[in-house]
Amino acid sequence: MKVKINGKLYNGNTGETLMELAKRNNIYIPNLCHKKGFEGQGRCRLCIVEINDGGKTKIVSSCVYPIKDGIEVSTNSDKIIKIRKNIILLLLLRTPNNDTIKSLAKEYNVDIHYKYLDNKKKENCILCGLCVEACDKLGTKAISLVNRGTTKKVSTPYDDASKDCIGCAACVEVCPTDAISIDDKNGKRTIWNRTFNLVSCSICGKYFTTYEALKYTDDKLNIEKENQICNSCKRKEISKKFKESFKNTY
Amino acid sequence: MNNSNRKILVCCGTGCLANNSFEVYTKLKEKLKDTKIAVQPLVKATGCNGLCEKGPVVKILPDDISYFKVSTKDVDAIVEKTILNGEIIDKLLYYDTNEKKKLISHKDATFYKHQQKISLRNIGEVDPLLIEDYLERDGYKALRKVLFEMTSEEIIDVIEASGLRGRGGAGFPTGSKWRTCYKYNNFPKYIVCNGDEGDPGAFMDRSIMEGDPNTVIEGMIICGYAIKSHKGYLYIRDEYELARKNMQIAIDNAKKHGYLGENIIGSNFDFDLEIVRGGGAFVCGESSALMASIEGNVGEPRAKYIRSVEKGLWNQPTILNNVETWANIPPIISNGAKWFKSIGIENNSGTKVFSLVGKVKNTGLVEVPMGTKLRELVFDIGGGIIKDRPFKAIQTGGPSGGCIPKEHLDISLDFDSLSNIGSMMGSGGVIVMDDTTCMVELARYYMEFLSEESCGKCTTCREGIKIMLEILTNITKGEGELEDIELLLDLSETISNASLCGLGKTAPNPVITTIKYFKDEYIDHIVNQKCNAGICKKLTSYYIEEEICIGCGLCAKKCPTNAITGIKKEPHIINADICVKCGACFTNCPTGAVKIGGVVVESKN
Repeated sequence: MKVKINGKLYNGNTGETLMELAKRNNIYIPNLCHKKGFEGQGRCRLCIVEINDGGKTKIVSSCVYPIKDGIEVSTNSDKIIKIRKNIILLLLLRTPNNDTIKSLAKEYNVDIHYKYLDNKKKENCILCGLCVEACDKLGTKAISLVNRGTTKKVSTPYDDASKDCIGCAACVEVCPTDAISIDDKNGKRTIWNRTFNLVSCSICGKYFTTYEALKYTDDKLNIEKENQICNSCKRKEISKKFKESFKNTY
Repeated sequence: MNNSNRKILVCCGTGCLANNSFEVYTKLKEKLKDTKIAVQPLVKATGCNGLCEKGPVVKILPDDISYFKVSTKDVDAIVEKTILNGEIIDKLLYYDTNEKKKLISHKDATFYKHQQKISLRNIGEVDPLLIEDYLERDGYKALRKVLFEMTSEEIIDVIEASGLRGRGGAGFPTGSKWRTCYKYNNFPKYIVCNGDEGDPGAFMDRSIMEGDPNTVIEGMIICGYAIKSHKGYLYIRDEYELARKNMQIAIDNAKKHGYLGENIIGSNFDFDLEIVRGGGAFVCGESSALMASIEGNVGEPRAKYIRSVEKGLWNQPTILNNVETWANIPPIISNGAKWFKSIGIENNSGTKVFSLVGKVKNTGLVEVPMGTKLRELVFDIGGGIIKDRPFKAIQTGGPSGGCIPKEHLDISLDFDSLSNIGSMMGSGGVIVMDDTTCMVELARYYMEFLSEESCGKCTTCREGIKIMLEILTNITKGEGELEDIELLLDLSETISNASLCGLGKTAPNPVITTIKYFKDEYIDHIVNQKCNAGICKKLTSYYIEEEICIGCGLCAKKCPTNAITGIKKEPHIINADICVKCGACFTNCPTGAVKIGGVVVESKN
């Protein structure tokens, strides 16, 4: 399948989205709600591009648009830039103090001196939904998008401490705007209105996750582990083993 | 009097029910039982007759006498005078404001004369709970025809040739939708009925489901047979309790009579229907959000680059049509494509049901051929504006539609003409507005509605509507600036270009069209600090023109705060400090001496 992006032809695979094709070919399309391993959602709207399909032009969101043979794509036409600027402005009005959004606004020369901008606003969440997707993929489903319209937010059922949350912080990991409040202090983690005891690494001693998260994955994989090792020590251990195996070969 | 074939039809649609029509119905039955008549006339509770404004409606057949605004007190007289003695009760007759006379049969009324009923053909004539009534009026004949005489291709050919377009809003050709879905060899396939009517002021789908549920069922089975689907879902919003109830009874009865379930009337074709209760979210009227809701997920739309005819409900090929579209299917099959095409205009065949509401004399449900002129709808059928005030605009298509000013009164009501001038057909809601409607406030109202009813999934719709609402609220408070108008248009362009679903893309329409046709009002609010309609209270003041005032004292009498003083036969004065700007003086003044001023009180005193 041949797709022309910004004047150059690329080979696309059937079923691939425009965003995937662009990423594969190092063409930058700004986006906030798209992440590898997650299906496209089309929430943030930043990834809109203009396509020409047999003479008809339309604006599509590249993260969910399945490519078609022969289409011509423009990721940066004047029209797209103009609309994208407004989308960033809308995000900025929502989260005026967020660094990610502020730097996007700077990149696109969005006028920050705007009369409807409320600088005191502390909101950081842009409702990209990645945290919900992550929690869902993990199987815990502790958080979801609740309410609708302008009152939509990410939360646990009834804003209570969720009994399903395992404190794994996968949601924090995927958040593009650092909007999820997480507090790791004195061997305890507070997240989504609930406090968990943290587990320390049996090698380096650093706290790295919660008991609930470890138990959840162990149960899922049906294994029992004696020593709990953090990710960075795990990497070190693996590379050590790798090195030794090479030593024995040569 | 021969009562053997006499029928008394009592309208028990939602509007009439609210005015105690069910009590009229039961009392009529009781009264007749107590009356010594050899052959009792048949009393039936029917669906909506359309003229809700004048309900409850009681029709006596075959005499063809129609009584309006009937109360339980009138029951005795109806039985004693009309049923027993054939006398007509004058005070219950319909007064036609256009013809300026009383009418015996409702069919002679201007409200009904211009109408042509296809999808509403049985409503008001049958008891929706009795399948026998439907069968008597050729019900399930079209189903019998397709099951025993037609192939899938033949059915789709007829629907395609009829030119029927989806009555839900976008006007997509129904036949080509069916054909595309038919071509996919991916089973199971599903049939869905969109009964999530959510536009403010629209109630046509509700009336059909309440008043003639069998026609919807028949339409869906025909489609199921055509595309080889065996399962259908009726998505009905939770607020429509009566619609759900009547629909369920109709489904159960159809099953009992062999029209639903396995081996339908001995044809070897199986089809089943299930009702799904919608939670009442406006966005669930959008097809992909509706399907997500049926699946048990949050009602959020998805990008429809892959159409639901290919991957719809549970990712299987799905046909979704709205209630009115389904109601058109049986008559098209029975009477043929040519007949349907002969009604309406080119590319817009058939009829369309409109719910006519707002500042119009005859509010109600109206079915007219496509291409009927807007003027005819408002002034002939609707009888004109209440109190004969000046017509200002109509709003069509709900929050996704736009406002049409009086310059376009001669526009043809069809999908294409309406979208050409920036509005849309939508589901057929028509809100009539007079000079006491503020167009800025109207735009603000719709933005407020959508700020609650947008699903909130995508940035442009959610945040865009929020900021537009803020800007419009400011203008209605007199805190707007001229640049705001440009800003609103700029944001509208972004929202309509970049939003994910149809609802988001059309959300700015009320703002765009009010700016296009009523920019002066925006400027009046911003520059002159004045709301000419007297709606935006911060920008309204009332004063009495000394030269015109005859000192009748009516305004002072109607004023709830005693803000108006004056001696009889001498000009009166409004005390601005006490005035709460309710407008009672303005609407009640017989000489038009009460004037609307801006934020600054204009008074010669």
